Amino acid sequence: MRPATPLLVLTIGQGLAGGIIVCLAALMWMGRLTGPEAIVPVLAALGTAAVGGMGSFFHMHNLKAARYVMRRLKTSWLSREALTTAIFGAFLAVLTVWTLFDGAGVSSVGYQTLLVVTAATGVLAMWVTAMLYATIPAVLSWHTPLTVLNLMLVGITSGVAVTAGWVSAVPSLWIGFAILLALTAAVKLLHWTHFLRAHGQIRAETGTGLPFSPYRLQDTGTTKPPYRTQTQVWPLLQPALLRTVKLWTVGWLFVIPLAAVVVWQTGAWGGARWVLPVGAMLGVIAERWLFFADATHSSRVFFVDEPRRAPQVPMTGARKSM
Amino acid sequence: MQLTIITDLNKCVGCKSCQVSCKEHNTSGAFGPVPDHTPYQDPDGMWWNRILTMESGEYPNTSVLYLPKACMHCYDAPCVPVCPTGASFKREDNGVVLVDYDSCIGCQLCMWACPYGVREFDEEAGVVKKCTLCIDRIEDETLPEHERQPACVQSCPTHARTFGDLDDPNSEVSRLVAERQGFGLLPELGARPSVHYLPRRPAPSPLDTETLETAMEERY
Repeated sequence: MRPATPLLVLTIGQGLAGGIIVCLAALMWMGRLTGPEAIVPVLAALGTAAVGGMGSFFHMHNLKAARYVMRRLKTSWLSREALTTAIFGAFLAVLTVWTLFDGAGVSSVGYQTLLVVTAATGVLAMWVTAMLYATIPAVLSWHTPLTVLNLMLVGITSGVAVTAGWVSAVPSLWIGFAILLALTAAVKLLHWTHFLRAHGQIRAETGTGLPFSPYRLQDTGTTKPPYRTQTQVWPLLQPALLRTVKLWTVGWLFVIPLAAVVVWQTGAWGGARWVLPVGAMLGVIAERWLFFADATHSSRVFFVDEPRRAPQVPMTGARKSM
Repeated sequence: MQLTIITDLNKCVGCKSCQVSCKEHNTSGAFGPVPDHTPYQDPDGMWWNRILTMESGEYPNTSVLYLPKACMHCYDAPCVPVCPTGASFKREDNGVVLVDYDSCIGCQLCMWACPYGVREFDEEAGVVKKCTLCIDRIEDETLPEHERQPACVQSCPTHARTFGDLDDPNSEVSRLVAERQGFGLLPELGARPSVHYLPRRPAPSPLDTETLETAMEERY
C-alpha cells in the first residue's frame, strides 16, 4: 500500500492525541496529576489532533464533495471516523481551554468528568480508525483484530511517552510503562508475523485461474511502478530496507523509551526525560510508514511475480544406497 | 438483473483491442476523459480495462495466459459500503457498480476495498474512476439493439467476450458459466464477482442432442 503522507499524519496525530489524554486521565485517577503539569500535554494533544485533522482534510482530493462525508454512517467506517474524530476534537478543544484558564481546577469534578469523557471519545476515535483498516478483506495484512490492538496500543504508548516529557509522575510509574511497552511490542511482533503470512496468501490459482505454478507476469497491462492511478499498489520493499525500518521501530519505540525511563527514574541523567517523547515520535513514524508500505493488497497478484517457494517435504542431499 | 461480461480465456489472444476501445469510447463519452499524464512518452495512464499477460509453468511445459481485467461488478461489491459519501453505488435495476463523480471526495478507500485493483485514481479531477460497463451505451435507446453492449465486447475480434444478464438462467452468459465451469477471480475474499471467465480447457462437444442421438444410432 502506498504510505500517503496525510494518512501517516492523521493516524499518528490522532493516536498521539488520544494516548496523551488517556495518560492524563489515568494519572488523574491515580491522583498524580497537577494543573500546571497538564497544560503542555493538553496543548500537545490538541496540536497533534489538529495536525491529524488537517491531514485527513487534505487527503480528500475533491473538497466540493466534503459536505457529503457523513452520508454513509450506517456502513462506512470512514464516515464514522469523520464523526468520532470531530467529537474528540471538540471535547479536546474545550478541555484545553479549561486547562489553560483554570489550571488549578484539575481537582474539580467538572474538569475530571470532562477529562474522562475526552479520553473516552479519544479511545472511540482511535478504535473507529483502527476498524476502518481492519475491516478491509482485500488488504490481507490488515484484515485481523491485531490491527485494532496495534493501532490503539501504539497510540496510547506514544502518547504516554510524550506525556512523560512534562509530567514528572510518569517515570515513577515506570513498571506500568514497561508493561505497556512490552504489551505493545508483543502485539507489534504478532502483527508483523501476520504481515509475513499475508505475503504468502497471494494465490495465482484463485487470482488468475491458472491451474499450475509458478507464474510470471510478462505484461501487467500498461502499468508499472509507482502505479500513479492505482494507489492501492506499492512496490515490494527490499528485504534490507524492511529489516532496517523494523529495527528502527523496535529501537526507538520500545527499547530506547524503556531505557530512558529507567535511567530517569534512577536519577542518573535528567535529560533522559526528553528522550522519551523524541524516541516515541521517531519510532511511531517508522512503525506507521511500515504499516502502510509493507501491507499486502490482494491485487498484488496482478502486479508481482509469484515468489518461488521451496518444496515443503523433507529432501535428502543424495540418493541413498540400497 | 445483474449485467455482466463473460470472457472465454480459450478465445482471448491478448490483442488489447478491448483495452483500447474501452479507453477510446469512455474518453469520448459521457464519463471521460480517461486521463494520461504523458501519453507520448509513457503509456502508464488510466485504463479501465487492462489485459494481463502471464506465463505459467516451467520450461518446456509452459503456457501463456491473457487475462482481461476490469471492474467485476460484484454482487457484494466491497467498494460500495466503505464509501463515506455514497458516491460508489450499485444500481438496483441492473447490478452495475458506478461512481458519482460529484459526490466522490477522492479518499481512495474504495480502491483499497476493491480486491481486484480495477479502480483508478484521477489526480487531476480528484476522483476515483472505473469501468461503467459502458452504461451510456447499453442504455442508449437511439442505438440499434445489437450495439447496446460494452465497447470491449463489441470490439473483440475473436468474440471472446459475451455480455448479458447473469441472473437470467436462460441468458447466454448464464448458459456459458453453467456449461463451461465459469469462474470468478479471488472467490475467497467474498465479493462474489459477477464477471466470470471460462477456463482454458477442452470445450465440451458442440453436438446438440439430436445430432448426438443420430451419431449414436449410426454407430451402434
